[in-house]
Amino acid sequence: MTVDLRKDFVTYAKDLNKASEDTNIRTAITRAVSSYRNTVSETLERFPHTPELAEEVQGIKRHSMANLDDLLKQAMDSVERNKGKAFFAKDHQAALEIALGIIGRGKTVVKGKSMLGEELHLREYLEENGNEVWETDLGEFILQLRKERPMHILSPSIHVPREQVAEVFSKFFGKEVPPDIAEEVKVVREFLREKYFTADVGISGANVVAVDTGAMVIIENEGNVRLATGAPPVHIVMVGTEKLVPTFQDAMKVAEVTWRYAQYGVPGYVNIVSGPSKTGDIEKVTTYGAHGPKEFYVIFVDNGRSDMAREDKFSQALHCLRCGGCMYECPVFQVTAGHFGHVYMGGIGAIWTAFVAGGMEKAAPLVYSCLRCGRCVERCPMSIEVPAMIGELRERIVYGKY
Amino acid sequence: METKMPMVLDIISENIIKHGNPLALKGSEVASWAKELDLPVKGELLFYTGGEYQLLPFIDSLVKTITHLDQGSKVFSMMMGARNILNKTGLNAEKMYASVLAKDKDRYNSVCLKAAKVLHGLGYEFCYSGNEELYSGALLYELGYLEDMKNYVQKVVEVIRNSGAKTIVCLSPHAAEVFKFIYPKMVKGFDLEIVTFVDLVWQRRDQLAKIEASGAVVIHDSCRLARELGIHQELRDILENVGADVKESPRNREWTSCCGGPIKILFPELSHVIGSRRVNELKESGAEHILTSCPYCLSALEGGRTKGDSAIIEDLIEFLYRGSKA
Ligand code: SF4
Repeated sequence: MTVDLRKDFVTYAKDLNKASEDTNIRTAITRAVSSYRNTVSETLERFPHTPELAEEVQGIKRHSMANLDDLLKQAMDSVERNKGKAFFAKDHQAALEIALGIIGRGKTVVKGKSMLGEELHLREYLEENGNEVWETDLGEFILQLRKERPMHILSPSIHVPREQVAEVFSKFFGKEVPPDIAEEVKVVREFLREKYFTADVGISGANVVAVDTGAMVIIENEGNVRLATGAPPVHIVMVGTEKLVPTFQDAMKVAEVTWRYAQYGVPGYVNIVSGPSKTGDIEKVTTYGAHGPKEFYVIFVDNGRSDMAREDKFSQALHCLRCGGCMYECPVFQVTAGHFGHVYMGGIGAIWTAFVAGGMEKAAPLVYSCLRCGRCVERCPMSIEVPAMIGELRERIVYGKY
Repeated sequence: METKMPMVLDIISENIIKHGNPLALKGSEVASWAKELDLPVKGELLFYTGGEYQLLPFIDSLVKTITHLDQGSKVFSMMMGARNILNKTGLNAEKMYASVLAKDKDRYNSVCLKAAKVLHGLGYEFCYSGNEELYSGALLYELGYLEDMKNYVQKVVEVIRNSGAKTIVCLSPHAAEVFKFIYPKMVKGFDLEIVTFVDLVWQRRDQLAKIEASGAVVIHDSCRLARELGIHQELRDILENVGADVKESPRNREWTSCCGGPIKILFPELSHVIGSRRVNELKESGAEHILTSCPYCLSALEGGRTKGDSAIIEDLIEFLYRGSKA
């Protein structure tokens, strides 16, 4: 079989060129980069133990990825012990079907931001199957209305200025929304509040999972995840297996390093969820669904991750915390944003595209637009050797070894 | 499975493998700078250019030709293989050679001569393989043609061994990188000492004469030099010894920003945007005189400078040569 990548490269180059001329992207990223650099250096000064903690986390991740099968089993047992239901999805399709099996049709679903959700095209799938799904992260909500894909993993709508937000909001809400950020935030707050309390299901990802306790740690700032996972009667966590770590203590370390390099001293909220809501206040009889969800489900998704874990040259890519630091330091990302990406972005995104979200052909143009300059490695709290992996992927592409 | 890669990659990799140079330049062209020096072909220390500075003036015309062809078009896909495209588009070394400005050609060709003179001035004696010298194959490594590289490097090593040298001094950090980290994995018993031009100058920096510069200079650290080879303080030490006023850009040393050069042949426009952003970032230091120590950085930064920009972009070799002339 012959795979002709020539057209793909040309189309991709055009897309990158267009992005690099987009003044919205240029202004937004320039602003974001300088704020990222300033806040990170400031918070690292304030919490000087962080780089050392990051090194410790590298060890935790290395150990976890080497013992993935074992951790997965423990995690599933813990979820069940906590009266939740645990599922394992081998691939993309299985993950979607399990979720749909729990949710059914004709339901209202509120969703927190998750890269796994993007990887699976979860919202689109649930909608196609007759559900009403709302992204509750403000940036994702804007993109949902604009029918666009994220341009950054943490600030998905980074490229949309307030005027364009006002425009799409005015149209959607059927009333004049002024290009005023506070006003824009307020209309969404009012709209989604009603959704949280009428939704049938809340879906979230998780930043880390402690397998000993079954604790899902979810970091956020807006408070949307609290509401989306607390108000509806059902909470589904969908999480990639790369998030598993042995202990609760480990999970706290991973969480702190994650938010620190995502430029937070401390995030607005850290949610720790391990099972359905319960009470024993009346006659010590445990009853589920007190104030929070009565049902709690966790879907652990592999979708190419165990293949990555098995390869010495690539397993380190699973250590990625999704802090976003490397993207701000990437000279290509700085001028093209999420256009240098498929679902996952930047150099690390090219690796993930090859194994998890898209496959080698989708990854090839991304792999060749990486400069291999190595600055991401300097920034990365996990010191992920992206340039070496890019080199390895190039070889596989050239000789069709995939 | 077989993959059809963008044509420009076929051309470059085939040129390296068949002609020992990414643009199929002739050995005599590549070595023409050395005529006046009459360097020995054997010695302890081998002066290695890899033809990298010499091919710089041609890269842009290659890129221009490539980007003018619509790689998605029918005609294009009919022209299979690098040989064909070389013939049908007239994209050959002779033609490109003719289309290049004489002043660019002279400038980049003389970088090697200047480097040799600077090292001689510091009392180094070395040999040079002349017409026989082959490109290191760094681009084969960069672009993923590693299986081809495994065969190719054997030829390179043969030429190097013929010189009898124990140490290679590389002008380009890319060559130094592959000699240091890749060759030992591909060639049995490859144990030559690899140094860069910067290393040798740094060792004898006390002997450097002062250089009269019109204003402050700023260093663009090459990614390879700063991050892979860990050389950045050396550049500052050298410049301090020649009495230059060195300003620093906000992103420097191991945090340096890439010049955009590595993606120039596949994504020329984007590479250009990245290059000009870097030029501006360097100018934020307050200095307009940019010095680098890598052929690709030199070319990418030159390309990124906007028309009429007063910035001066030079290789460290060119800058140091001013001192050795005096
Ligand atoms: S690769 Fe490293 S820097 Fe980039 S998002 Fe992942 S953890 Fe953060």
